[in-house]
Amino acid sequence: MEAQVQGQDYKDVYYGMKERNVKDSTDKLTAAHVTIAGAGGLGSNIAIALTRIGVGHLTLIDFDSVELSNLNRQQFKLSQVGMPKVTALKQNLQEFNPFIEIKTFQTKVTHDNVKELFADADIICEAFDNPAAKAMLLDAASEFFPDKPLVMGTGMAGIHSSNTITTKHPRANLYIAGDGTSMGAEGLMAPRVMIAAGHEANMITRIILGRDDI
Amino acid sequence: MMVTVNGQSEDVAGQTVLDFLKARKAPVENIVVERNGDIVHKAEFDKVTLESGDKIELISFVGGG
Repeated sequence: MEAQVQGQDYKDVYYGMKERNVKDSTDKLTAAHVTIAGAGGLGSNIAIALTRIGVGHLTLIDFDSVELSNLNRQQFKLSQVGMPKVTALKQNLQEFNPFIEIKTFQTKVTHDNVKELFADADIICEAFDNPAAKAMLLDAASEFFPDKPLVMGTGMAGIHSSNTITTKHPRANLYIAGDGTSMGAEGLMAPRVMIAAGHEANMITRIILGRDDI
Repeated sequence: MMVTVNGQSEDVAGQTVLDFLKARKAPVENIVVERNGDIVHKAEFDKVTLESGDKIELISFVGGG
């Protein structure tokens, strides 16, 4: 008997889901491994985008659990409050696309575990909330994985213009999305956080598909 | 004794990276320092001294995500 997904033939579903992807992108996307550090406002939105287009291997890392205050911008449900973010996110991603491999680590990223956590990543995606954690990851990644592209985010708070959020490429293998200045204390809301997440996800997609300029 | 910091010439040669950051009241934990194209690892901030002619780029991060 043919394997089925949601009552439909496996192959029909698999190929149907990729029908509107950019021409000749599927094989490269399927082969890619992106490790996302942080499963909050940036990470959950980036993960969903990469899942939908069929990035074949995702690793999600976050120490935290879902809280009510996350729901104004992070892709979790009321029913998931209290769950580890990586568990809840994996559950949601599998509903969007069951054909990708998702690994999760419920842990805090520190300088000491960067080497181990990101060893199998083709691309490292920084999606933390905490600025010191962002700086730590760039510091450690430049030490242990200077040849891996690192895509980061900084500055997506408040209700400033969408058009102040850009992607910059300040050094080889480093991409930074955001407005660079707006701080989380202003408040963080889905629309603007999703713009920065979209920048990161699109840059990752471009790198996978061989367009590593901004 | 000039050092170029984010494109601006500053008279800060002779200071360690840590002293230089503290003097400008920069949030040390949130900053990555690039010196002549190489990243200065945080553990080296108090050991690396800025030299005349150095090109420094400060990559700073704000909270939110």
